Amino acid sequence: MTTSLPRIGFAGMTHLGLNSAAASAEKGFETLCFDPDAALIGRLRVGVLPVEEPDLGALLTKHAGRIEFTSDAAAMQRCDVVYVAPDVPTDDHGESDFTAIEALLQLAVAHAATSATLVVLSQVPPGFTRRHMAPSRQLFYQVETLIFGRAVERALFPERIIIGCADPKAALPDAYHNYLNAFDCPLLPMRLESAELAKISINCCLVASISTANTLAAICEGIGADWSEIAPALKLDKRIGEHAYLKPGLGIAGGNLERDLHTVIELGRAAAADVSVVEAWGRNSRRRRDWVLGKLHAHVFPKKDKARICVLGLAYKENTHSTKNSPGLALVHHLAPFQPVVYDPVVPPDAIDGMDVRVAASAMLGVKNADALAIMTPWDEFTLLDPQALRNEMAGNVIVDPYAVLDGADCISAGFQYHTLGKSMSRPDEARNQ
Amino acid sequence: MIEHMYAAPENPARVVIMGATSFVGRHTEAALTARGVEVLGLGSADVDLLATDAAQKLSAHLQPDDALVIISAIAPCKNANELALNTRMMASVCDALAESPVAHVVYISSDAVYDDEANPIDEGTPTTPASLHGLMHVAREGMIRNSINCPLAILRPSLLYGADDPHNGYGPNRFRRLADDGQPIVLFGKGEERRDHVYIEDVGELIALSLLHRSQGVMNVATGQVASFHDIAEKVLALHHPDGAIETTPRQGPMPHGGFRSFVISECQKAFPTFRYADLDTGLARVQQQTTETS
Repeated sequence: MTTSLPRIGFAGMTHLGLNSAAASAEKGFETLCFDPDAALIGRLRVGVLPVEEPDLGALLTKHAGRIEFTSDAAAMQRCDVVYVAPDVPTDDHGESDFTAIEALLQLAVAHAATSATLVVLSQVPPGFTRRHMAPSRQLFYQVETLIFGRAVERALFPERIIIGCADPKAALPDAYHNYLNAFDCPLLPMRLESAELAKISINCCLVASISTANTLAAICEGIGADWSEIAPALKLDKRIGEHAYLKPGLGIAGGNLERDLHTVIELGRAAAADVSVVEAWGRNSRRRRDWVLGKLHAHVFPKKDKARICVLGLAYKENTHSTKNSPGLALVHHLAPFQPVVYDPVVPPDAIDGMDVRVAASAMLGVKNADALAIMTPWDEFTLLDPQALRNEMAGNVIVDPYAVLDGADCISAGFQYHTLGKSMSRPDEARNQ
Repeated sequence: MIEHMYAAPENPARVVIMGATSFVGRHTEAALTARGVEVLGLGSADVDLLATDAAQKLSAHLQPDDALVIISAIAPCKNANELALNTRMMASVCDALAESPVAHVVYISSDAVYDDEANPIDEGTPTTPASLHGLMHVAREGMIRNSINCPLAILRPSLLYGADDPHNGYGPNRFRRLADDGQPIVLFGKGEERRDHVYIEDVGELIALSLLHRSQGVMNVATGQVASFHDIAEKVLALHHPDGAIETTPRQGPMPHGGFRSFVISECQKAFPTFRYADLDTGLARVQQQTTETS
């Protein structure tokens, strides 16, 4: 099939590559999806996805005629632009493992046409792209800003596209430029290192907002204020903005933000820059992760030694299968002696392999006879839980609902002691005395 | 910050307590013997850690499968001479362990290793002590850490109280004795400063649990709750002498620790999920019960 549109290839069929490829197809481009893992490609061909992401499956099905899945690296020869886009795994300290991306980059250099444009889309530290420049090759770096649970939307409608270039003043190759124009947003070429650091800078700003919200939310809990009343007022301030990350949480998770904090601390040390504020974000995050455990130790275990705890949600956030640094998973681990009951609508049971837990088939089956309920992922289906029905099923009356999935007032009316982030459910005068 | 070599508790072959006659030492031995653990308690009468032959004497008591708990110290460490003596004592312990390695070491340090902090203290808080006492423990922690190859647990207790506390420091122990004597409890200022007080049996219990799990790393021993000295005085009076009086005095200087020193205790909650600290009311009531029984 011939087309005037460039043919776009994606190497690495994990979360980033798959969602980006789906967006490419939706924009009307012939799209090649390459991964050396033949078994993975086989599953993708029959619609079995390795990731949970809203609309991803539907989009891949809709454009099946435009998408070619292959484990044959030679197929990249037919592409005008090849994105090297595997997820870069991290260890427990946020350190990246570049083995997979370096292997894929080698394959792309070896098999893509010499006229093709190669683009690193994965999250890499400043200096990575320049270090991997191949002779007679055009290699660019493009910032991805996917969000777990909103990856398709973010891939289709980026606010802007940041492009790292060996020479930012030179025009982009035609095929690459044509492809980027399809996204109808500002294109921001800059030097390679700037683009690589821009990605990290975006995440640092997000973490700063989250850490600020966490800190102020904790103060709210202590003084009888309500962060959910304050945050909307802040968003009306143009200096903060309506989309600001002001939702308190249980610390950063998912792997990407942790990676960037680790990277910026390393970069700061090398540049003799003061990174103490970044280290403070990390401390704030680690402490917030234990917020639910602290509530259970304060309000449940002193009353019942062998309390039965139900944990709803293991994914680190809604609409994803990912449990990387998940507060829910960590909580289950720390509750091992109590054999907690767990339920998650998406996370497979192998995520809790080796843990002494009981897996429930549904949320309502999980809460049966529970002394306390902890809602660790704000899945939509948990918002439908009826507090009175929960009260009827549970033996105890404590709900720890950090993300306010349930209506706190309804829970209290149903007879629950209700705990959520950023708000003391006691009267302000009581809260100050706690 | 603290991890277990044994996920399930297992009695050590034997525990040697250096400083067994101390307040903490007695309660450690009680918690261990209650579990059927063989204990060899050593005090300064058995091994004087300042004597020139201290290392040889201590090493003669140690066996390869022993766990050693190090409590002995000249405390509180108030001057440079005591600092030097305390490090000499630890040098003797380190030399003894070089001669006779053991399977596990638990060092009882102090929360004085932390300077005053605006934030709640946890095990990640930098150890930059403001006092010689804190400096002494930081030095001794470093000495033992760099001298042994076996798992090492360092426990850092906050303020302690209990019926048989030989010290008469400002707080629950002194207040109780004053109340029992019918004397007023005299507070510095209005007793506003809030601190974390740990009931002594909980300290013994956590040391025992660390030994049974062969834990290694650092853990603070604090309840996570703070109470003002005025509140403590009121609680003590209610238990010991309901008609007693509390007297406030003009404060001579700034409040110690800026008036507030709190702890985040999630490391303890994760390491020992089923362990519960006695809250202040419970601990003070036990003290009252024990002092009544013994009087």
